Amino acid sequence: MAERKLLFEHTHDPAFRTLDGYKATGGYQALEKAIKMDRQAVIDEVKASGLRGRGGAGFPTWIKWNGIPKDKKTTHYVLCNADEGEPGTFKDKQLMETCPFLLVEGMTIAGHATNADQGFIYIRGEFIDAARALRSAIDEAYAAGLLGKNIMGTGWNFDLDIHLGAGSYECGEESALMSSLMGERGMPRLKFPHAPLPTVAGLWERPTLINNVETYCCAPFIIKNGGEWYASLGASTKNSRGTKIFSVSGHVNKPGNFEIEFGTPLKELLEMAGGVKGGKLKACVPGGSSVPIITAEDVDRAIIGYEEMSEVKSMVGSGGCMFLNEHTCIVTFIWRTALFYANESCGKCTPCREGTRWMLQILDRIRRGNGQKGDIELLKDICSQIDGRSFCGLGDAAAWPVAAALRVFPHEFEYFIENGKSMVESEPTLAMAP
Amino acid sequence: MAAAVQIETVNITINDIEIAVPKGELIVEAVKRLGLEIPIFCYHPRMKPVGMCRMCIVEVGFKQPDGTVRKMPKPQAACTLPASEGMAVYTDTEMVHRDRKGVLEFLLINHPLDCPICDRGGECPLQNNTLFYGPSTSRYVELKRHAPKAFPLSKYVTLDLERCIQCGRCVRFTEEISGDSELAFRFRGANMQPSTFELRDFESKFSGNVIEICPVGALTSAKYRFRARPWDLETKPAVCTVCSNGCNVWFDYRVGKMVRINGRTNEGVNEEWTCDKGKFGHEFYNSEDRLLTPLVREGDQLVPTDWARVYSDVIRAFANGGDKVAALGGAANSNEDVFMLNRLMTGIFGTKNLDHRFERNLVTGVGEKLGVSEVQSTIASLEDAPSMLVFGTSLADELPIVFLRVRKAWFKNGAKVVVAHHAPTDADSFAEVILRYKEGTEAAVASGLLSLLVSAGKAQVPAATADAIKPFTPEHVEQLSGVPAEKLRVAAELLEGAPIITTRSMYNQASGVDALEALAGLAMVTNGKFNCYSLQANAEGATLLGTKEGMHTHQILNAAAAGELKALWLVNVDPFALYPDRELVQQALENVEFLAVQGTVASEAMHYASVVLPQCAPAEMDGTYTNVERRVQRMRPVLKPKGSTKPGWNIFSEIAVRLRPATPFFNPGEVMAEIAKENPAFEGATYDKLPAEGFVIR
Ligand SMILES: Cc1cc2nc3c(=O)[nH]c(=O)nc-3n(C[C@H](O)[C@H](O)[C@H](O)COP(=O)(O)O)c2cc1C
Ligand code: SF4
Ligand code: SF4
Ligand code: FES
Repeated sequence: MAERKLLFEHTHDPAFRTLDGYKATGGYQALEKAIKMDRQAVIDEVKASGLRGRGGAGFPTWIKWNGIPKDKKTTHYVLCNADEGEPGTFKDKQLMETCPFLLVEGMTIAGHATNADQGFIYIRGEFIDAARALRSAIDEAYAAGLLGKNIMGTGWNFDLDIHLGAGSYECGEESALMSSLMGERGMPRLKFPHAPLPTVAGLWERPTLINNVETYCCAPFIIKNGGEWYASLGASTKNSRGTKIFSVSGHVNKPGNFEIEFGTPLKELLEMAGGVKGGKLKACVPGGSSVPIITAEDVDRAIIGYEEMSEVKSMVGSGGCMFLNEHTCIVTFIWRTALFYANESCGKCTPCREGTRWMLQILDRIRRGNGQKGDIELLKDICSQIDGRSFCGLGDAAAWPVAAALRVFPHEFEYFIENGKSMVESEPTLAMAP
Repeated sequence: MAAAVQIETVNITINDIEIAVPKGELIVEAVKRLGLEIPIFCYHPRMKPVGMCRMCIVEVGFKQPDGTVRKMPKPQAACTLPASEGMAVYTDTEMVHRDRKGVLEFLLINHPLDCPICDRGGECPLQNNTLFYGPSTSRYVELKRHAPKAFPLSKYVTLDLERCIQCGRCVRFTEEISGDSELAFRFRGANMQPSTFELRDFESKFSGNVIEICPVGALTSAKYRFRARPWDLETKPAVCTVCSNGCNVWFDYRVGKMVRINGRTNEGVNEEWTCDKGKFGHEFYNSEDRLLTPLVREGDQLVPTDWARVYSDVIRAFANGGDKVAALGGAANSNEDVFMLNRLMTGIFGTKNLDHRFERNLVTGVGEKLGVSEVQSTIASLEDAPSMLVFGTSLADELPIVFLRVRKAWFKNGAKVVVAHHAPTDADSFAEVILRYKEGTEAAVASGLLSLLVSAGKAQVPAATADAIKPFTPEHVEQLSGVPAEKLRVAAELLEGAPIITTRSMYNQASGVDALEALAGLAMVTNGKFNCYSLQANAEGATLLGTKEGMHTHQILNAAAAGELKALWLVNVDPFALYPDRELVQQALENVEFLAVQGTVASEAMHYASVVLPQCAPAEMDGTYTNVERRVQRMRPVLKPKGSTKPGWNIFSEIAVRLRPATPFFNPGEVMAEIAKENPAFEGATYDKLPAEGFVIR
């Protein structure tokens, strides 16, 4: 299989970033169609498409859309998670920079389906170019009556605005994102069943739909071509439909974003990225830094799909796929990952706040040649004391990579602890240093 | 009365025991119904649950239609989980025990474990939970997090950051309860720490509370730090007498010395909070300035003497004094004290010149004049008021605990609060409308509100009143006071049924009496509640038990200044501090022939004293105090009277007995029985009937 450019069909066409150019390729036909459809019919189309959230968890998108109260009593919000903080993931960045109207149209469709009044795009603070592209797309859409008052003459009003984050990975977690957007400290909020779902009480306690950039960008294609057509993509997989953009990085010859159909073998993704660079393939982190690491053998047999990836005990995640060659020291790689999570823990809950720091300290000690007997068991214990015990997913995300590396590459840790140095002959430490 | 609200219940199981609990009750509370306890750190029942510490983790499942239980894959925090139908909670599984150990291990890795020198040691939730649920050793060999050991957040609160477990209780207290939002977390992850904004002083009127709710020894009292270990302390229930709120507190003392005041729960009064004035305001107990022996003047010196001498001097000066003698004060004394003082002055010395009120224009109370009560709302009832008017007072300063209730009414129940004052107040932060008037125009603003309601036809008032308030149209009031007419209109709309809260300091304002009359009238036309709250510990009791017939304070001071008084008795009061006209006070004290000063600590008035009668401090005697809402509360002796000090009632009764032999009262309980005989309102306050939470006179 090769790339299947759906969202990215016009990514290299600068005209696509203007309203005229976007419309010339069929842009806004979907909104025109959707806006004449019954709200429920739009949601049913998304249901038929089998679309699942592209932000990492793969949650069925239509269930969220359908969860917004049908009888409108107050303001409804549509929120886009454009914080893209997961190390290894950079697909939303390219989408926003090169296809801003896809997101704007997709969110407008979602706004119609959920009878929303206001949309917000929460953009990672460093993404200045993405914010600029979106700003100009939104301005053009307003000028053309595609946002704001009386959209397409239907009498429906929908505003869309952007907000830049301030540099916290945790603010990509949906409830922390809402705290941050509301002007509070970027810490997560209580979740169901401890509190109502965001679709009932999200931003300012009002019904709020939150999806990832890529998720919204799929909506125009689903409406234009029908959910059934969309579902025909990726039909070979158990339950993953459509295309998925993977951000391929690490030891490959041609790093970048690649859009593929679900069901594509992982090794083909590696081929698209020009194959491994600088040696043989050793390992792969297929879905962003938080998903479990897999071996080269697993890469050979892995099929890209939400369920399929669990065959190799890993996940599609957010699509941040890192390939590592044989000269990579796994201990150092995991130390660097742990450093990221310790830095990004928000501090709200005990297991993540204390556990991420502790793991980092142990890995750091091992890396400096001072590992001691029992460290591996201790690390495993700490992982299990964090995983599922933390307040939000960041704790889990911090524990999984460590636990997986200990499971898949135990010998590298044992060697490092016993000999005070890496079993990989190279200068990995420098290459990995922050 | 509406029919009792039916509370919807749900059926849940806790460790397989079936129980019905109110729908939505937090599991951490629900388990208490079975006598179980779930360990906690961050959860505090008076604040919103946050689920930060993860100490309270339990396993949770849901009953399936086939009767089996499907467990949730992850354990859940019990402090944030509302009970719902079919929920199955397990507090005693292997997973729960393992996870508690895990959380405690995490909390302890960066804890300094300096328990042997920590104020909290011995009464520390972290110690206790570790003992019951924690690991016995630590596997942590890395470098601990270090921070300054004694960072002064304010003059009262010292932060030991190393001990902090980041539970957020202190931060949430300032956000949710005191409302000053003085504390917040800064930095993130393992570096997260509670802090003031830019490390400025922790400026709160309620900062002391965070010391108590901190589950470790991170927030310590600058005054108590390293002064005692909890197990060396003796603790007795007491009532704070610093102001009229009458907060229930614990007095902690060590070898006869007061070392610490903590909040004691009384849902009707202070819930469990204290204000800083109260918590840190009992230093006079140990003060160098305590009066310990009777003193008598010899030339320009006061020299120690014995009680017999001062008694005979007082008797010589006051006996058969009639109109030529007077007494001032008593608002800080117990009910029993003021009752006996009253008896002595009126019954034996034959004078009605007796007043405890130092507000300049307070001659006849407005309530008395209009035939309405000046205390119509209990503190707790404010919580349920949909709207309120706080008039002419910086409530957080004058009545801190009433302030907390008013804020709670807004924070929890969305009460709409109208705040009228000449200066910014803490209540402005949550006010629905702020009426900022020029000082001195209180009467115009109050009359304007009344006028609006009367002209809107909301109520009838006597013709005279109607005429008097007619000129006060919103526009005219705006001219006079600077309050925008529109704001006045908006405020008036909110006042139906609203409690009106003002204080006796209003009587110090030139137009205060008129303002109070308008406010009392306002309460009548809106079916609201008029409250002109008193300010000293027992001002309310002194008002109820005092005489209203003789000269009042203003007249007494004038008479003394004019040399018309033979003898004056200052009862536990510093007129220089309370009376607005300092010069008059000075003249009065200089020109009175005989001045008896009775008190607990040295005061300025002593310069003029002929004799000094040392009275013991409240916690050194038995007695009752009537607080702001007319709740009579008993303070039992905690400490022994210092030196040869005596309780006030005892002093008065010993003098009375010398002049008119009779069986004296042997204890304040007998005095209260006598009070109740003369004032049936106090019937419920006799010592055998008085409940622990006090008795509210209606
Ligand atoms: C620590 C953490 C960080 C996250 N960061 C992001 C992010 O940067 N972008 C994103 O789309 N989702 C992120 N998520 C997932 C979101 O919480 C949420 O699941 C997602 O926005 C839902 O959108 P979707 O249904 O379209 O995938 C993060 C989750 C966690 C726990
Ligand atoms: S797991 Fe806990 S500390 Fe970590 S980011 Fe989430 S809430 Fe914050
Ligand atoms: S100082 Fe005390 S109350 Fe505040 S967060 Fe730390 S442990 Fe909690
Ligand atoms: S007590 Fe429940 S999480 Fe802290």
